[in-house]
Amino acid sequence: MEREEIITKLTVIFRTVFNNQSIVISNEMTANDVENWDSLTHMLLINEVENSFSIKFKLKDLLNMKNVGELIDIIKTKIS
Amino acid sequence: MTFTSFSFLIFFPILICVYWLTSSKYRWFVLLSSSYFFYINTKPIFALLLMGITVSTYFFTKKMHQSNSDALKKKYMRYNIVLILMPLFFFKYFNAINAELIETLKYLHLSVTLPEFSLLLPIGISFYTFMAIGYTIDVYNEEVPFENNIGILALFISFFPLILSGPIERAKNMLPQFRSQKVFEYENFVKGSRIMLWGYFMKLVVADRLGIYISAIFENIAHHNGTTLLFGSLLYPFQLYADLGGYSLIAIGTSKILGFNVMNNFNRPFFSKSMSEFWRRWHISLITWLTDYIYTPLSFHFRKYKISGIVISLMITFLISGIWHGATINFIFWGLFQGIIVSYEAITNKRKTNLELQYNLNKKIWYSCFQIFSTYLLFASSQIFGKTTTINESFLVFNKILFSHGKLFIGQPSTFIFCILGLLMLFINDLTDEYFPNLFLFFNNKNKTIRMLSYSIIIIIILLIGVLDGGQFIYFQF
Amino acid sequence: MEVSLFIFNFNAVMIKKLFSNLIILSLIVFFLDFSLGRLLRYYYFKETSGLHYRTTYSIDSTKANILIFGSSRANHHYVPEVFKDELNMSYYNTGRDGNAIFYQVALLKSILMRHNPRIILLDYAGGFEKGPEYYDRLSSILPYYRSHKEMRSTIELKSPFERIKLLSEIYPFNSKMLTIIAGNFEKNKSRNADEEGYVPLYDIWNERIESITPEKKYNIDSIKVKAFDEFLILAKKSGAKVYVVYSPIFLKMKHSKEIEICNEVCKLENVPFWDYSKDTIFLNNNQFFYDIQHLNDSGAKVFSKIICNQINTQIN
Repeated sequence: MEREEIITKLTVIFRTVFNNQSIVISNEMTANDVENWDSLTHMLLINEVENSFSIKFKLKDLLNMKNVGELIDIIKTKIS
Repeated sequence: MTFTSFSFLIFFPILICVYWLTSSKYRWFVLLSSSYFFYINTKPIFALLLMGITVSTYFFTKKMHQSNSDALKKKYMRYNIVLILMPLFFFKYFNAINAELIETLKYLHLSVTLPEFSLLLPIGISFYTFMAIGYTIDVYNEEVPFENNIGILALFISFFPLILSGPIERAKNMLPQFRSQKVFEYENFVKGSRIMLWGYFMKLVVADRLGIYISAIFENIAHHNGTTLLFGSLLYPFQLYADLGGYSLIAIGTSKILGFNVMNNFNRPFFSKSMSEFWRRWHISLITWLTDYIYTPLSFHFRKYKISGIVISLMITFLISGIWHGATINFIFWGLFQGIIVSYEAITNKRKTNLELQYNLNKKIWYSCFQIFSTYLLFASSQIFGKTTTINESFLVFNKILFSHGKLFIGQPSTFIFCILGLLMLFINDLTDEYFPNLFLFFNNKNKTIRMLSYSIIIIIILLIGVLDGGQFIYFQF
Repeated sequence: MEVSLFIFNFNAVMIKKLFSNLIILSLIVFFLDFSLGRLLRYYYFKETSGLHYRTTYSIDSTKANILIFGSSRANHHYVPEVFKDELNMSYYNTGRDGNAIFYQVALLKSILMRHNPRIILLDYAGGFEKGPEYYDRLSSILPYYRSHKEMRSTIELKSPFERIKLLSEIYPFNSKMLTIIAGNFEKNKSRNADEEGYVPLYDIWNERIESITPEKKYNIDSIKVKAFDEFLILAKKSGAKVYVVYSPIFLKMKHSKEIEICNEVCKLENVPFWDYSKDTIFLNNNQFFYDIQHLNDSGAKVFSKIICNQINTQIN
């Protein structure tokens, strides 16, 4: 899967999980930039991503993710 | 010795001079020895416990560092965590569990005379144990490289500004700072001193004064009416905030003077609009520790259950938080109460934000006030469990608040007025910092005269109405 | 050279700035502390009623022939009219709430420097356990440190750093500000009424009597016991008739370590000790009590009469 496709799919997930149709994701985006994205809802997002892309994360992967850009990288690695 | 002992006012200036006059290479050693000196002055034998926890943590993290298999690393991590939790468990919970056990055996008509230890809890054990555990897990997760210098590790665990009451810091933040060469900076000295001064104000003028009045109420629940109990319960969160918040500021200021940046522990929590927000602004170092080391792994493990998984993780985390605070059923209740509220907020969040958008509530002042007050009330109610000693007592308090009213107990007028004055000063300070951050600047005013006068006035206020010894009391409590 | 190397880590300008600012700050604080402290001191000693006034009066003025010493139990249990009627002597009650043997010794020392009473009655309230209690309460006599050398050794028991703390002018008056203001107003006389130092209590305690068994462990603080002994020695040396009394308490006490200690020390110094903790006149009558530890005015009158009778019998 190409990066573009991942971003499109991810945008839909973000918009659903965080209940906000106007979210536009970017590489530098972090939890601080999105309302309702915090430690409470983080795992909801992760679970949706896993289901949507049919991948499985390790806890270590999550700890290393600093922003959405890194999330996309990890998704890309896991798909291939 | 604690921050509010007079001897600290002698110890610390001497340390500042020795510390900054020592060459960079050996400063960590000055800090380490003074941290142990500081801790030994609370109770000597507990320094051995501190050393034991340090040695164990060093040993097991070294083994983790040297081994290549992940399974082995995990094993060493678990060994250390269990080992260093044992003293905490023993000191904090032995008496409580012992008492429960004896009660249960009595109930079953088995009377066994178990030894009753009168155990004094080592000061700070809840804090430095958590710091050591955090470091251990970080090494496993490779968040932090293994610290080869046992002296530096010992310093991290025993660092005297943090040892008694936190903030609960992370190895990732502190170890590099302990290793780096620092230069004396005037700005740090001034900023640190200001922070310490305000911390002393919060603790001595507000917290300890409120403590006198509130203790007079809660140590005599049977003799006070609901009006008094309500008033006391509404004040109690302020006492907690001024106490731990003030103490944390002294810790942060002390560290800053020594050149270290320590995390903030409170962020004007009573302006929170939800309990979820509250837990991001109250006792931040503890909550982030619990989030990173307990809630996140748990919610990760339960993520396939979606919102139910989050609720389970929250309940377990808050239960642990309750137990960390105290060894009684009251604190278990307290933890569960918190867990239920935050879970409720998590579950209803979507509906809430929809409602807010629909009626444009976030722009309305009355709505913000409503949110702030209800959050405060929720927290104050939960703290009734924390302040009373048994569940029956807490229900008695709730009962009286709802049904038994009367004249408000003032106690000693002096004390009461000092409470109000102190609280007012703190409130105005926080209010202006929260909503008008660039106005009413005193400590950081551009004008040097105003700054100097502000420092002096606060010092004088502490001398005038701070609680400087344990001799303050309210007589004739009923 | 190692020495000069690390000194040059400092910016000399920075250090100069730091020290000059610290000095300026100290000067401002010193000035404020000095002026406010002096102001507080002036008005403290100008009080005309209340707690502070009574302590000052006890220390500096009273020339009564009967002096009562003790804590709140002393202050609320001995009625002046009864003593004046029965014993025909002037009377003053130096008892003060929440203050224990250190306060009583300090006061006695001061009073004896200028006056020899004929009767010294100490209402014994115990409080000899190890702990910070009563050392902290020495704050009540901090204002007298300056002009009363004889009290200094007692006051210095408060903490090893008292002498440093007393360098501040405000420190002796910490937390006293509002009381000082109130004590300077006429209205305070009626709010805080006292008769020759005695403060009557008026409510009635309506609960049933409780009984207590003593703590298994009682760690005796020898410094406090020593102070008690010192009190008795000084009192006797002055030539006065000395009596120690354990006044009534609405509590059934099986065995009291405190009373035991009192017995021993009084025996040692050959001072009569009258123990009313088991007197049924009081144990059976809750209407004489304001609360568990204190008689109300009616109870105090009854009790004072009993004590006066006992004193009269002793004298004759």
